[in-house]
Amino acid sequence: MINTIRSELLKMRTMPGVWVTFGLAFPLTILYMTGLFAAQGYPGHTFSSVQGVAHLRQLLGAGYFGITFLAPILGVICITGEYRNKTMTSTFVLTPVRTRVLAAKVGVTSLWCVLLVCLSLVAVFAIGLAWNDALGGSSSQVVDQFGAVVPGLLAATVLLGLFGLGFGTLVQNQVAAILLTIGMTFILEMLLVVLARAIFQYNLNWLPSAASQALAGELARGLGNRHDPALQLLSWWKGGLVMLAWGLIPLALGYFTTFRRDVT
Amino acid sequence: MTTGSSIRGLPIEISGLSKHFGDVVAVDDLSFTVEPGRITGFLGPNGSGKTTTLRMLLGLVNPSAGQATIGGKFYRDLPNPSGQVGAVLEATSFHPARRARTHLRMVARAGGHDESRADVVLDLVGLADDALRKVGGFSMGMRQRLELASALIGDPDILILDEPSNGLDPQGIAWLRDFMRYLAGEGRTILVSSHLLAEMAQTIDDAVIVSHGQLKAQGSLEAITSGLAGACMQARSPEADRLCSLLDQEGIRFRRLAQDTVAIDGVTPEHVGPLLATNQIVLYELSNQGADLESIFLELTSGLGFGDVSPSS
Repeated sequence: MINTIRSELLKMRTMPGVWVTFGLAFPLTILYMTGLFAAQGYPGHTFSSVQGVAHLRQLLGAGYFGITFLAPILGVICITGEYRNKTMTSTFVLTPVRTRVLAAKVGVTSLWCVLLVCLSLVAVFAIGLAWNDALGGSSSQVVDQFGAVVPGLLAATVLLGLFGLGFGTLVQNQVAAILLTIGMTFILEMLLVVLARAIFQYNLNWLPSAASQALAGELARGLGNRHDPALQLLSWWKGGLVMLAWGLIPLALGYFTTFRRDVT
Repeated sequence: MTTGSSIRGLPIEISGLSKHFGDVVAVDDLSFTVEPGRITGFLGPNGSGKTTTLRMLLGLVNPSAGQATIGGKFYRDLPNPSGQVGAVLEATSFHPARRARTHLRMVARAGGHDESRADVVLDLVGLADDALRKVGGFSMGMRQRLELASALIGDPDILILDEPSNGLDPQGIAWLRDFMRYLAGEGRTILVSSHLLAEMAQTIDDAVIVSHGQLKAQGSLEAITSGLAGACMQARSPEADRLCSLLDQEGIRFRRLAQDTVAIDGVTPEHVGPLLATNQIVLYELSNQGADLESIFLELTSGLGFGDVSPSS
């Protein structure tokens, strides 16, 4: 199993798509922080330092803005890159026990998602805190929120990655899987939430984006619901369980349908 | 042919193997054995089930019936698959952005082999100078070599090669033939499917001939080519035209090789000698050639040549 994980790690490291994802994480984090500082501005000052627990946590968790779609893309790439480049045949020849391949991909996707969070935190610590200090804020106040923000951020990112991996396993086509996961979290989910409330007065808070926000947002207590402030999020642990289901169900479906198929 | 070193590897046993894709029967109750330490050619027209059989052996395709084992074990149950079996299935299974050496390091890691083996096998297949080049820029011949290098990363005793000469130019084919001989010289067991019968005839010890997913012949190359079905006499005569007419009358198959030379298929000297004597046909030469592999192949596969597709495919 260790051999398979080591091989999968090297495989991911040599996929250009992975580095594009990482390359986007840094500027997107900076973009979000810029917006956050701008939102604190007042007449005569375009930007202002963040104040209050909610905003301090928002600054520390600024990476979540990009992670909501970058983490699923990482998961999708991890599996569909194999189908796209027809490398699955050699992967299965080298590791004929397919559950082992899938388990290694779960592990590797999780690890890369953790690295994605680390990269966003580097952006926050290297640029966000310095900027906040320059605007008259306090770095230590932001750092004090670490325990409240980062565990939830890590958990949400890993589960978003598994969500992408699950859909990638099920769909196999890279472009379709990316469009499906992004389209689902950013377009379809928003539409469904609004429609569910308008027509059925139903609080549709168990779809992937809302569930991951519950997990990250409840712990962070500052991120809240990005799309729809009226949506009542689940508690963090319910959000975590729902998100886990969003990752595992397509993964299991993918395993029992496409992944076990004959490789002809 | 296999010579020299001690025999390496385990027997490959295909037993009652069948595979149906919906209504299509790709492999039909196929049984044969590949003996360790020998090169076995797995021959058949396109669509005869060769690739499907090899993929079932490697656990990539689930059989509808029967089993394919290596030393009595399924491939997936081997303790160190890539250390025992190396497989060359398709020369397209590379990430184009990955460097040759990185690809092999990845393969070495997956099999639990020392990553330094990457350089050893690159050197072995003549790609040492291209180790840092991206695979996307490789020619088909280079990709085939890299695929062979991947198969050899664990220094396996058994090599399974599916159409390894596909897409190769004559120079590449000659290289592959020499390379297979080199590998066989080390005592490895090699199961190779190929379309190039002339090349196969120079390399293999044993042959397994399939058509429509069914076994048509198995045995040593010598036994197959000297069998009655494939027997071939070569006659040289100044009366070649009369000879051909006579053979035609008798319903004996023949091929005109030259103005004065005729190859007579499916006959023995005991059969054709008296016939020619009775008809007073002058002969300069009558020799038992045995059949060439291609004649045998065409006969056993009902005339399906290369590039033809059997009805079952």
